Amino acid sequence: MLKKPNLVKRLFMFCCGPGKHQLLRVSLFCIFLSLLAGIVLLLLLGKNPFEAYRSILQGAGILPKTRYAGRKSQLTDFMSLLNYTTPMIFAALSVAVALKCGIFNICVSGIMVFSGFIATVLVGYSSLSPLIAKPLVILIGVVAGGLIGVLIGYLRHRFNMNEVVVAIMLNYIISYVVSFFIQTRFVDPITRQSVEVGQNARLTLFDYPIMNLKMEINLVFPLALLTVFLIRYFINRTRFGFELKAVGLNSKASNYAGINVGKTMVTTMLISGALAGLAGVTYYLGSNASIQPRVLPSLGFDSIAVALLGNTTAIGSFFASLLVMAFDSGTTYMSSRMQVLREIAALITSILLLFSAIGIFFRALANRYAREAEEV
Amino acid sequence: MDTLVEFQHITKRFPGIIANNDISLSIKKGEILAILGENGAGKSTLMSMLFGMQTPDEGDILIRGKKEYISSPLVANDLNIGMVHQHFMLVENQSITENIIMGIEPRKRYLGLFPYVDVQSSNEKVRQLSKHYQLEVNPEDSIEDLPVSTRQRVEILKMLYRNAEILIFDEPTAVLTPQEIESLLGIIKNLRESGKTIILITHKLDEIKKIADRCAILCKGKMVGVYDAATTSTQEMSALMVGRDVSLTLSSTEHTQGVEVLRVEELSVETNDHIRKVDKVSFSLHEGEVLAIAGVSGNGQVEIADAIAGLLPVKEGTIFLQGQDISGSTVRERIESGVAYIPEDRHSMGLILDFPLRENLCLKQYYQEPYSNSRGVLQEQEMDSLATELISSFDIRTGSGATTLARSMSGGNQQKAIIAREINLQANLLMFVQPTRGLDVGAIETIHKKIDELRAQGKAILLISLELDEIMELADTILVLYNGKVQTIKEASAMTKLEVGEYMMGVHVEKA
Repeated sequence: MLKKPNLVKRLFMFCCGPGKHQLLRVSLFCIFLSLLAGIVLLLLLGKNPFEAYRSILQGAGILPKTRYAGRKSQLTDFMSLLNYTTPMIFAALSVAVALKCGIFNICVSGIMVFSGFIATVLVGYSSLSPLIAKPLVILIGVVAGGLIGVLIGYLRHRFNMNEVVVAIMLNYIISYVVSFFIQTRFVDPITRQSVEVGQNARLTLFDYPIMNLKMEINLVFPLALLTVFLIRYFINRTRFGFELKAVGLNSKASNYAGINVGKTMVTTMLISGALAGLAGVTYYLGSNASIQPRVLPSLGFDSIAVALLGNTTAIGSFFASLLVMAFDSGTTYMSSRMQVLREIAALITSILLLFSAIGIFFRALANRYAREAEEV
Repeated sequence: MDTLVEFQHITKRFPGIIANNDISLSIKKGEILAILGENGAGKSTLMSMLFGMQTPDEGDILIRGKKEYISSPLVANDLNIGMVHQHFMLVENQSITENIIMGIEPRKRYLGLFPYVDVQSSNEKVRQLSKHYQLEVNPEDSIEDLPVSTRQRVEILKMLYRNAEILIFDEPTAVLTPQEIESLLGIIKNLRESGKTIILITHKLDEIKKIADRCAILCKGKMVGVYDAATTSTQEMSALMVGRDVSLTLSSTEHTQGVEVLRVEELSVETNDHIRKVDKVSFSLHEGEVLAIAGVSGNGQVEIADAIAGLLPVKEGTIFLQGQDISGSTVRERIESGVAYIPEDRHSMGLILDFPLRENLCLKQYYQEPYSNSRGVLQEQEMDSLATELISSFDIRTGSGATTLARSMSGGNQQKAIIAREINLQANLLMFVQPTRGLDVGAIETIHKKIDELRAQGKAILLISLELDEIMELADTILVLYNGKVQTIKEASAMTKLEVGEYMMGVHVEKA
């Protein structure tokens, strides 16, 4: 029974089939599909989809807008994109590192709130000089996040507790405990959020005058970029990276080979937690300045899809973060320019996240087709 | 008595082996027929064809004199054939009744409209059925609260509920305690009294003596013959089962025993769920010696190897490696002090299938110099050169050299890769567990030669195998394990294959 695969199947195989750069091709295929779905959505609303996509890119500072407000330019838009992308990069790296070791870290949101809150309380309201306060905030983020990470890793290893369940519970525990303290101690009576942190502790400089422009400068972005390369080096080239991947792929064989599986998991979660903590401080003491009680940042959950879109690699996570956040920040401009409801505009980002999360499915499907084709 | 089932010249091939070679067998109505054979003799394959899980390549199966094509267990079900598998197929958190009626639930409708499963009347039906066959169970109990023996009863009830006339039991006593075995044998006898036909797959001879009417013996995929259970002695049965042909032992050099490498004293091991698998086992192993542990699968052999490698904790006793007590050492410490281990399960333990071959070949050495430097950075060139060297010296055939994913390699080459890695550790003790399982003749020969070579180099080798031929060919000393206990330990030359087979079946225990 020799059956020639139909055109759709062959096209799909060309995009996602096994072979060179399969992972990259699948990711690009996902992005393409989400853009396609977005076009359908916009057409249904009677809008010109290409104009809409162009305005998203304009809003994100990638394409120039026709006119700018005073002391704003394409550069300021782009800088603000980088500002919003920075916490996402850390969060996506956090998910990616844990996934490489076979641990599904969905506690990024909770860790972000925790580290953000600790840093806010310890440094945000102090009057330390910026030169001391800012590095201290970063350090607190790393330590606080790492602590929660270790807790999850330890519970998983020692008591074999499913990290997803632990993470979900921790998310809520952290969220409610933190909001208890905010509402009893640190609440701003007008905004109902925590009192804004001082400029000395903030990791983003707002309205910073450069070249006659008012810029948003995220001081941690260079660190994020550096971290991407560090994590990549760490996973691909070091002894511990080898162990981390081995445990993630087959913990039984790793144990047999003499790798200390528990230690590897706990260490991985230390790193993953520290990265999530960095995401927390850059989010709550950077692009934002206060914490909204009882709200888990959606960025922490989106980072899972972003990490998957980036094939759980460091470089991939970086580019995926940039793409998703470009959509995210561009849709605001798009909604006002195209007169599309904000919710509809946000839907386009959501579609992208949805399709990024199912890349694995496309890959498995393509591999199955390939096997079937071989058998025939 | 009428013939109920007839196998006519059944042949079944799997890649590399003929599992069933021209087997003819007829089963009479109302008898208990035992099917006896070593591991891999083809018993389960034959019965899985009757139950529709496999289909024969050649030959026919006749049921009640009519040729039937049993393409799936559903077809077998319609032909009133039922099977109790060795591993029960039950849903843990459902009740006994729910498990029994699954797939053929009696449906009713509330107000003639909303369909629901009528569990209540089924409960009653199951209760009656269990009374009728004296298989006491409470139909409303949920499976997870039940002991193994009761679960087995549920499996039997499941077949009876589906009106099975031909009942196949796949090694039903393997999971039971002696008392439970007694009661199961009683149940099986009862079933025969009520007119059922029973096929019992087993390798326990005393059970056959107790309840079977006839006994069909398979050896290496061929039918040796069908014997009357009452008049054939257990010794005869085990001789027939192992095969009369004396294997040509080609042990090359007369072995000169060197220094003691491994000494195991009163070792007891329990699995994670506290089942004692190894009970007070002691032995010692010297340089240039091949000690083989023989035994029917699941009698504790693998657990001994796991305990020596540090994968299972030592419950009692001590393990000495070159005079050092290693019972409490970590896996890595043991590897470093000279334990190499070729595990039984090459897919889930021996290799990381989604790692390239190079990483797999370095799996136990990647952290040492020169493969990593002192700062913990991998030295890829060194890893490459190790991989290339091992690939050429062990003739590992791959698609794209050291970067081939282990998953995409053939079973024989995967095994070669594991053996290459372990030999390269330069350990004094090498443990081979089922080193040739599932491999073709060529690969088996290569591995046997390698073991002989290592022995000549003065390594101490612990060989665990289910293949008696392999053991007889390679071993200097044979230890036979039965139910986790040492049955005997003797020079290989002092035992015939037949004797080893008898010890494996626990025959000598019965006499003592």
